[in-house]
Amino acid sequence: MTDCYKPRDECGLSSAIKDAATAKMPLVVRGAGSKSAMGRPLGGYAMSLTTERMRGVSLYEPTELVIGALPGTPVSEIDRMLAKHNQMLPFEPMDHRVLFGTSAEPTIGGIVAGNVSGPRRIAVGACRDSLIGVRLVTGRGDVVKSGGRVMKNVTGLDLVKLNCGAWGTLGVLSEVIFKVLPKPARSLSVGLGGMNDTTAIAALTAALGSSFAVSAAAHIPASIGSDSTTIVRLEGSDGSVAYGARELAKLWRSFGRAELIEGDESANLWLRVRDAHWLAQPMDRSIWRLSLAPSKAPHVLADIRQKLGVRYFFDWGGGLVWLAVVDADDAGASVVREAMANTGGHATLVRASSEMRHRIDVFEPLPPAVLKLTQEIKKCFDPDRVLNFGRMYAGI
Amino acid sequence: MSKIRFTEPNREILARRDSIINDLTRLVDPAGLITSTDECRAYETDALTAYRKMPLAVVLPKTTEEVSAVLKYCHDTGVKVVPRGAGTSLAGGAIPSEDAVVLGLSKMNRVLAVNYDDRFIRVEAGVTNLSVTAVVAENGFFYAPDPSSQLACTIGGNIANNSGGAHCLKYGVTTNNLLGVRMVLIDGSIIDLGGDYLDSAGLDLLGLVVGSEGQLGIVTEATLRILKSAEGARPVLFGFPSCEGAGKAVADVIAAGIIPVAIEYMDKAAIEICEAFAKAGYPLDVEALLIVEVEGSDAEMDATLADITAIARANGATTVRESRSAIETAAIWKGRKSAFGATGRVADYLCMDGTVPTGKLSYVLAEISKIVQRHGLRVANVFHAGDGNMHPLILYNANDPSQQSKAEAAGDDILRLCVEVGGCLTGEHGVGIEKRDLMRCQFDDADLVQQIRVRAAFDPRWLLNTDKVFPLDFRCQG
Amino acid sequence: MQTNFSLTALADAHVSESEKILRACVHCGFCTATCPTYLLLADEADSPRGRIYLIKDMLEEEKPATPQVVEHIDRCLTCLSCMTTCPSGVHYMHLVDHARAHIARTYTRPLPDRLLRGMLAKVLPFPGRLRLALRVATVSRPIRKWLANLPGGAQLAAMIELSSSFKRRRPTRRLPGATVDRPRGRVALLSGCAQQVLGQNINEAAIRLLTRHGIEVVQPIDEGCCGALVQHLGYESRALDAARHNVDVWTREIENGGLDAIVVTTSGCGTVIKDYGFLLRNDNAYAQKAARISALARDITEFLHELPLQDGVRTTGQVVAYHSACSMQHGQQVRDQPKSLLRRMGFVVREVPEGHICCGSAGTYNVLQPEIANRLRARKVTNIEKVKPQIIASGNLGCITQIGAGTRIPVVHTVELVDWAMGGPLPDVLEGCLG
Repeated sequence: MTDCYKPRDECGLSSAIKDAATAKMPLVVRGAGSKSAMGRPLGGYAMSLTTERMRGVSLYEPTELVIGALPGTPVSEIDRMLAKHNQMLPFEPMDHRVLFGTSAEPTIGGIVAGNVSGPRRIAVGACRDSLIGVRLVTGRGDVVKSGGRVMKNVTGLDLVKLNCGAWGTLGVLSEVIFKVLPKPARSLSVGLGGMNDTTAIAALTAALGSSFAVSAAAHIPASIGSDSTTIVRLEGSDGSVAYGARELAKLWRSFGRAELIEGDESANLWLRVRDAHWLAQPMDRSIWRLSLAPSKAPHVLADIRQKLGVRYFFDWGGGLVWLAVVDADDAGASVVREAMANTGGHATLVRASSEMRHRIDVFEPLPPAVLKLTQEIKKCFDPDRVLNFGRMYAGI
Repeated sequence: MSKIRFTEPNREILARRDSIINDLTRLVDPAGLITSTDECRAYETDALTAYRKMPLAVVLPKTTEEVSAVLKYCHDTGVKVVPRGAGTSLAGGAIPSEDAVVLGLSKMNRVLAVNYDDRFIRVEAGVTNLSVTAVVAENGFFYAPDPSSQLACTIGGNIANNSGGAHCLKYGVTTNNLLGVRMVLIDGSIIDLGGDYLDSAGLDLLGLVVGSEGQLGIVTEATLRILKSAEGARPVLFGFPSCEGAGKAVADVIAAGIIPVAIEYMDKAAIEICEAFAKAGYPLDVEALLIVEVEGSDAEMDATLADITAIARANGATTVRESRSAIETAAIWKGRKSAFGATGRVADYLCMDGTVPTGKLSYVLAEISKIVQRHGLRVANVFHAGDGNMHPLILYNANDPSQQSKAEAAGDDILRLCVEVGGCLTGEHGVGIEKRDLMRCQFDDADLVQQIRVRAAFDPRWLLNTDKVFPLDFRCQG
Repeated sequence: MQTNFSLTALADAHVSESEKILRACVHCGFCTATCPTYLLLADEADSPRGRIYLIKDMLEEEKPATPQVVEHIDRCLTCLSCMTTCPSGVHYMHLVDHARAHIARTYTRPLPDRLLRGMLAKVLPFPGRLRLALRVATVSRPIRKWLANLPGGAQLAAMIELSSSFKRRRPTRRLPGATVDRPRGRVALLSGCAQQVLGQNINEAAIRLLTRHGIEVVQPIDEGCCGALVQHLGYESRALDAARHNVDVWTREIENGGLDAIVVTTSGCGTVIKDYGFLLRNDNAYAQKAARISALARDITEFLHELPLQDGVRTTGQVVAYHSACSMQHGQQVRDQPKSLLRRMGFVVREVPEGHICCGSAGTYNVLQPEIANRLRARKVTNIEKVKPQIIASGNLGCITQIGAGTRIPVVHTVELVDWAMGGPLPDVLEGCLG
């Protein structure tokens, strides 16, 4: 086991990082570690740092729809607190424990570090869109704040978004502040069966191009279950959801007979979509996550399937594709990235053996000019390369 | 009069003016190079007219490649560049300096692609905000951010200032509706960030670029998310006998879990000004007015409005009037969106842009009127109440130097107050030159130094929109 | 906006008026978005805000106009779209008129430009000279391409080109007025100078319409040009003389028989007549009389709209694209009346996309700035053709001519259509078009 800093507050966090920077000793930074197996492997480092002892909700104003928390706060604690006021984190963060088979409760800091979102991302934005303020400690040990607790803020550079999804490579978060939303009064799903990928995406596109409060849209092809399921979720007031479901059934008439899915059945279905449940087993498969324009998704998939045996499904109306491939050769990297190269978008190798993640690019390779900027930014936050050095890209 | 300082122009650059202009003629189409004093004068200020500086020259490129050539040249020869969209900044974000070339994007105004299946539109940065919605409206789509200057302001400027608008309460601001950009860095390299898909690869540089006020690079193309319009939308006017009542009603609506599309606030002074221009039927016998817009099917709007009306009545609303026609709706919004300009009919003004927590609205409103009174001036308030983004218009006489400095002092006091109660200096107008020296109220040195370092990662020679955003004495510490 | 005029400068009534206008401008930039030249050229100096700023500097510094300033002011169409847009109520028309007068006083134009402008000012307002000029233009047609290569020749060529689109209109002599038995009202109908020559059928239709509704129409024999043409060319004193002359003529009519309105069928003229009160505000002898004349001025569609209107007698239902002249919608803020008249007569009226943008006619603009005018015409015609009309209707002869030169769809004056619907003759250009 490596030695581990476990600061209890921002001050301790800062001094730990300063120590490491002085000693030029790289740190593996994590929250509870539910996603430690994501990104490029950092196996060789002697020291780690966890924020799991920095816990607690630092600010909650239900009437202003704002919540702030220390990074080690479990997401479940935040959810519970919000639920008391019938509110929620809008972006429906995925729980990676399902894919990684880990048990430690995901922390809010980890969610922000990975810009982790779920199916509702298409309607209300990603984690980075709800995040309105951060405090963080840079690789120099400096405490820096950006953003704040108000919804609109263009004062100075947006270091909030820069650090959301930076996987702890620039700074270690010491507080995160979100805008939250009231929970919808009602949520239900409308589904269609028996469709191939192309028609399914067309049906989802029609739904997302409507004005009926669609908050999620996914397609689970027949290869996953016994029959294919194409579903959208409607959320809002009782009236608007009922109305939307009726209208959507009409809109979908040419695709087939729409079926209503309500209550727990609907909720469970979306949990599975959120956590990529169907691809979790067998554990030895590599898992890719592709973000691309929905209309291109069926072609890209067809292209990939010609060359590679995959299990897959679509979220975000087709804009997000989850793929499971055999963890051999390059785990399909060349096929996937070539298929994506012509269409635009990016592919992330979410789950793979450490050896595989060491050998191939986990995150989408960057064009030279963007890579250079990324290196410069890393340098200005973490000149001694102590924070998760190399987790996203080699040298960063 | 002028409180805001400018740096001394670089004499060496001024001395090289002729040769710089000569070089620029080889880089851009002649119709896009402006050098005569009279013609450059049109570019010496933006909508913060109290401050003016004649630029060295103005270039209006037509392509990303021309932008790249100009930036590379300026980078190699150490010439400053001030980017400009429509020049509608209220914070002086587009005001040049004498040793800088203004690079205007107005000639880059083409729509490049519209894709309804993937719900995006790709445009050049000089396209105006409203014309984006105009393009997709025939198919029932819209682009959500709607700053009040949307008729004139450009998408490039919106990105630079992370523009919001009345309807961002529900739909978010520019950063939440932008999928990708093509931008030119100061060394002339052209990069694409994001694209026609969600969540760009690598670090969120797209998120960083939004709101960076033209200091990281010049955006030449943008891919914007478009949304299907709701089935119907209906603004309702709620008149209150007191500002406190209106402020409380806003907080209560949000607290009740209702997120209307927009909640706009006007005080008596603003109501009178806007009604005179737009004849929108605003009630003139109230102290404060809320314009609340809801959308959806008729039944949904009726239900939501019933809830909001109950809250408004409980807070003492005396007037409740729904728009009954598209013409009425248009007039209601025209009045609101023209508020700043219409104020020009009665006085000069400085427009503040601080944002405060919605729970603090009533308190801050009361304090603002005290502050402005203390400086012997008047104020009109018209702003986005739902997200706490305040726009006090400090009324004064620009031809009276003592009033100018009083107005600026009052503005500073108001912004300090916004920060004190947990808010920020600017919600959507940007820091520009106007709030540059107040940055230290909101940020510690460590915060600012880190921002400056990031800025320097993009523009190490500090050539892009140099005198903006950061206190002048600060950059050396970066 | 802050201004910086010396006290001596402000002693001048024109300057002090302009200073008031400039003070209202907050430089918000809204006007740039609806300015035709900014849409085409995208240079702020070719936008209202830029021009206002250049004018401000020129007037503040009391300096002579420079060629650059003149170029950008000359490119202004005076369409006044900016005034419709402006939330601050900046009276751009009065400001630019002042600037044009200042230019005329302080700037010597190159010779070809001077000759051309002089010729336009000496010919267009005078029907006899205009008829002669048109004959010259017809015989010069073969050499227009050659002319275009001379200094200032592009403008001459444009003039000849335009004149050819007049050929389908019958030149006639000025009309007598028309009396009716037991009139319910009495109006003066502006003959219009170019319109007498190029579009007499318009006023014929107007007279039929008015008399059909019991309105007596007078057309004073000594009425002159309204002054708009010389005003926009910067000949301020000639414009004022024209205004004074007409004020006298109509005042005489008011005193001998009374006038309920001064009815105008060319909106470009209507805008200026409605402004006589302002133009002559500093002339003690005329200020009051002029204000009375301005108050009586009505566009024909405004006037008809207020009458208890008879029903149409023909089978209508044709699709009409209504093109609102800038002087109509921006100058006079008359928007709905013409469309509502046409709809009342049973026409299917379609709104033209980008309807607020000028067609490029703008008085003498299509002669003086042919390149921009042609681009605007092409844009206008494209927009009109999008709505697939059978007929284009407009309330201004200049637009009718300008648009007519760019499309095969017939263009008529609104009153010609209304008159036909009520039983008047079919306008010439519609012969064979109304299947």
